[in-house]
Amino acid sequence: MNKELEHNFVTHLEQNQNIVHKVCRIYTHDIESHNDLFQEITIQLWKAFPKFRGDAKFSTWMYRVALNTAITLYRKSKRSIPTTDFDTVDFKISAEEYDDEEEQQLKLMYAAVKELNDIEKALVFLYLEDKSYRDISETMGITEVNARVKMNRVKTKLKKILNP
Amino acid sequence: MDELEVLKQHWKKQEQGLPKLSYDDIYKMILKRSSSMVKWIFIISVLEFLLWGSLDVFFRVNGQYDEIKTSGMENYLTISSVVSYGILIYFIIRFYLNYKKIQTTDSAKVLMQNILKTRNTVKLYVWVNLSFLAILFLTTMSYSIFFTDDFQNGDTKEVPVWMIMVTAVIVIIVFIAVIALFYRLVYGILTRRLKKNYDELEQLQM
Repeated sequence: MNKELEHNFVTHLEQNQNIVHKVCRIYTHDIESHNDLFQEITIQLWKAFPKFRGDAKFSTWMYRVALNTAITLYRKSKRSIPTTDFDTVDFKISAEEYDDEEEQQLKLMYAAVKELNDIEKALVFLYLEDKSYRDISETMGITEVNARVKMNRVKTKLKKILNP
Repeated sequence: MDELEVLKQHWKKQEQGLPKLSYDDIYKMILKRSSSMVKWIFIISVLEFLLWGSLDVFFRVNGQYDEIKTSGMENYLTISSVVSYGILIYFIIRFYLNYKKIQTTDSAKVLMQNILKTRNTVKLYVWVNLSFLAILFLTTMSYSIFFTDDFQNGDTKEVPVWMIMVTAVIVIIVFIAVIALFYRLVYGILTRRLKKNYDELEQLQM
């Protein structure tokens, strides 16, 4: 039974791992802590998995646990020594797809997102993942109206960071 | 177009650049231990319960109570021990029930609320305990001064009673202040980020 559960979980996660990687990218600055956070999210997902009823989509369920881990549970482990910063190797979105200017703009955008606080990052992340305001409000535990208001504030804040 | 929309357009494309972990990599991860904050709060809380809960035993073994016993406060001592263990059991149960409520599948706000509630249970326990100790100390001391023979017979005549009282109160205040400071430091570090994020969500609701 346990083996079956393990297999079931690992298969699900393997298929949906991009969600976790994206959360790690937004919340960490180097590869070492990316892996560290990925590890912690995986453990938390696994701990919560027996209660996963299957009435929600696995991916939807993952968003919540992954973000909760990143915002609330995760504590940087001592072993994460600052290594190569993402900026140098980061987002190797196959270069040929972008002209330089576009790539530059994207890099700036990412840098700006990293300046946001934990809650703002979560909102931006869910927004980029095309989640509805309803989903965002449920994941964060705030009202839909407040999610919209906050999102607008975040947009303004990003604008300010990008055009000081 | 606003900046976020630009990013959104490219967001999906980055997926090709993301790391890909194999089935085995992920399998190995689920065998590892968590180092989450909740785990630390749990460990520290259990240690606190052990530490404060064993104070009574410590005093007993060390013979601190014998002195009080000879001064005729035996009943008072028994009652205070029963009360302090009662308090301990009450808080352990409350702590356990709150701890059980912590679910990563809740919304971010509810999760944070539950962690803070669990944390506050232990904090309250420590404060109740400190007050309890202070009261115990003050009452036994007052009793010794006003009702026991040693003091009445004037063994302590060289030092005025008020001075003993004032010194004792200062000692208690310093003792409590040191512990409070220690707690602020330890938990400040542990829950600073959590509190900040919780406040941010709370602020949104106003």
